[in-house]
Amino acid sequence: MKSQSTQRNLKSLLLNSEILAVVAILMALTFFLTTRGLPMVLTILVDFAVFAIITMSLNLETGFTGIPQFGRVLAVIAGAFAVGAIPGRLLAALMGLPAGLNYTIDTVQFQVSPELTAALSGSWMLSLLFLFICLVIAALSGAGIGWLTSRPAIRLREAYLGISLLAFGDFLMWVGHNWVPLVGGSTSVFVPDPFRIFGGARFEAVVIAIFLAALLVYAYLNRLTVSPFGRALKMVRDNEVSASAAGKDIVKIRTQSLVIGSMLAAIAGGLYVIYTGTVTAMGYSRLVWTFWPWAFMMLGGIGSTAGMLLGVMVLTIMRTLITVYRFEVFGFLMAWGINPLWLEFTLMGAVIIGVILFLPHGLVPEKVQSILPASRVNSILSKGFGAKLQ
Amino acid sequence: MSNLLATENVTKKFGGLAAVNDVSITVKQHTFTMLIGPNGCGKTTLINCCTGILKPTEGRVLLGDTDITGWPTHKIYEVGFVRTFQIPLPFLGLTVLDNVLGAMRNSGEAPLKAPHRRLWLKEEENNMERAMAVLHRVRLDKHWNKPSHTLGAAQLKMLEVAKGLAAGAKLIALDEPIGGVDPASADEILSHVSALKNEGLTFLVVEHRIDIAAPYADYIYAMDLGRLISQGTPQQVLGDPKVIEVYLGKGATEAC
Repeated sequence: MKSQSTQRNLKSLLLNSEILAVVAILMALTFFLTTRGLPMVLTILVDFAVFAIITMSLNLETGFTGIPQFGRVLAVIAGAFAVGAIPGRLLAALMGLPAGLNYTIDTVQFQVSPELTAALSGSWMLSLLFLFICLVIAALSGAGIGWLTSRPAIRLREAYLGISLLAFGDFLMWVGHNWVPLVGGSTSVFVPDPFRIFGGARFEAVVIAIFLAALLVYAYLNRLTVSPFGRALKMVRDNEVSASAAGKDIVKIRTQSLVIGSMLAAIAGGLYVIYTGTVTAMGYSRLVWTFWPWAFMMLGGIGSTAGMLLGVMVLTIMRTLITVYRFEVFGFLMAWGINPLWLEFTLMGAVIIGVILFLPHGLVPEKVQSILPASRVNSILSKGFGAKLQ
Repeated sequence: MSNLLATENVTKKFGGLAAVNDVSITVKQHTFTMLIGPNGCGKTTLINCCTGILKPTEGRVLLGDTDITGWPTHKIYEVGFVRTFQIPLPFLGLTVLDNVLGAMRNSGEAPLKAPHRRLWLKEEENNMERAMAVLHRVRLDKHWNKPSHTLGAAQLKMLEVAKGLAAGAKLIALDEPIGGVDPASADEILSHVSALKNEGLTFLVVEHRIDIAAPYADYIYAMDLGRLISQGTPQQVLGDPKVIEVYLGKGATEAC
């Protein structure tokens, strides 16, 4: 018994030291990035925060519930398009500006959008209210789209469910690209900026706000999943038949997971368009918004919420390093006919393959442990079973 | 004693094959009722039809006075009828204890309540005390904190039984609870079951190894090729020429 626990300690120490090494190398590399100034750091932070929310939501559906969510982009689009299409129109209608179907036409946008942002930047109250409405609308549209996708998809299994979700994911992007009144079709629609009120510190303010949102989502998911609900999700993941024999309603649990996950992903989509200030339908490709989160999740450790943060942080820093230095460091590849422009995409593919081959449980493997805190467990054990447990 | 479970002319067809053909059985309250028969005779299919894993093609399944024909499995669990599986289906990503806790009810399974620990912590603690008692019964309490995939085959069988017990059902269908278990442990499991029967539970047990299990049974049904061929007390059924024939072959009765 004793040697076993020493072995375990040694193992976790080794694992921890591997993680520490990764963190140290990244910190060293990040240092080079910080020499490029504060905007670079803030860009990493905001990319991290947006993708952390999306990856954690993906992990809830895939890591905890076992749903092959290959259509993460759909909920992100739902949030992004809803924030692009609705709150601006509401504000424009209130101010007596064009708010109908023509609101998204670029010529109207160039005229209306500056007025809307000007109105927001004049009032803290209005800015805060606008931000709140944006988030509520994003959350509702995400929950709605999550519920809708769950209807036809929920009775399918594994590969078929994955294929259906993948197809749903692309659907909305093409609607947005071709139907101008939604978010401007092939042109962009502007999102009135509730952070303009911070003036010169707008960038810093919006990054901090999104970062805080990511931390809140982390805290929420940690509490949500370390609970009987989280256990029920894992039961459905591990064995559907056995879970239903244990009284779990598979359809209901999968629906709940899809609705909560999609809601969070949509909030991330909404926050992202508030940050960038525009929505362009074609920007929501499944590569970036479905498969990158998959790469982050696989590296972090499927089923571990803390692992998601590490996975997203590691890859976001690596991705940023590549985008900044690709031509300086990898310019020589041009001579061989390889354009370094695509290196970050190569990185994501390499990570997925590498993780499957060498690190199947990710950097922070899922922990198998009781959901009650250790002190409570010990007090229960000492009551009736202490003697038998020695 | 009143009937707890009754099947009325249950038939299950897979294409042209009637895996269960016009079977009517009753399980009386507080009994250990056994279902025997050679491989492929439809025992497990019948249990699957009763517990909602499969929908019967024809016939009805009654639990008490409630018609539960075609109900989903989780709803049948709600009315107090649970089952275990012949091949253990543990939740591999959970600890042994959580496997058992998962088969119990906790209001913290509602996603709105789940993030608020204090709303369900007390319930979870009570459940854990009960779960540990159940694990102690099947001698798995030492292993409560191990991932369930580290257990051996016989232990997984025990865990399967523990999940059934913990669910707090009035009727438990055990699908081959001692299949693949050594005779000593098999007797142990069955005497636990017997003790639980005396505490007021009812069991429907599918079993292959009639030699070990029959002494514990109050009533036995025998099946062959989807049909009921015999029923009665253990002595009656085991002495029935038709039962001897399906197990030992034609002519075995004369040889005896």
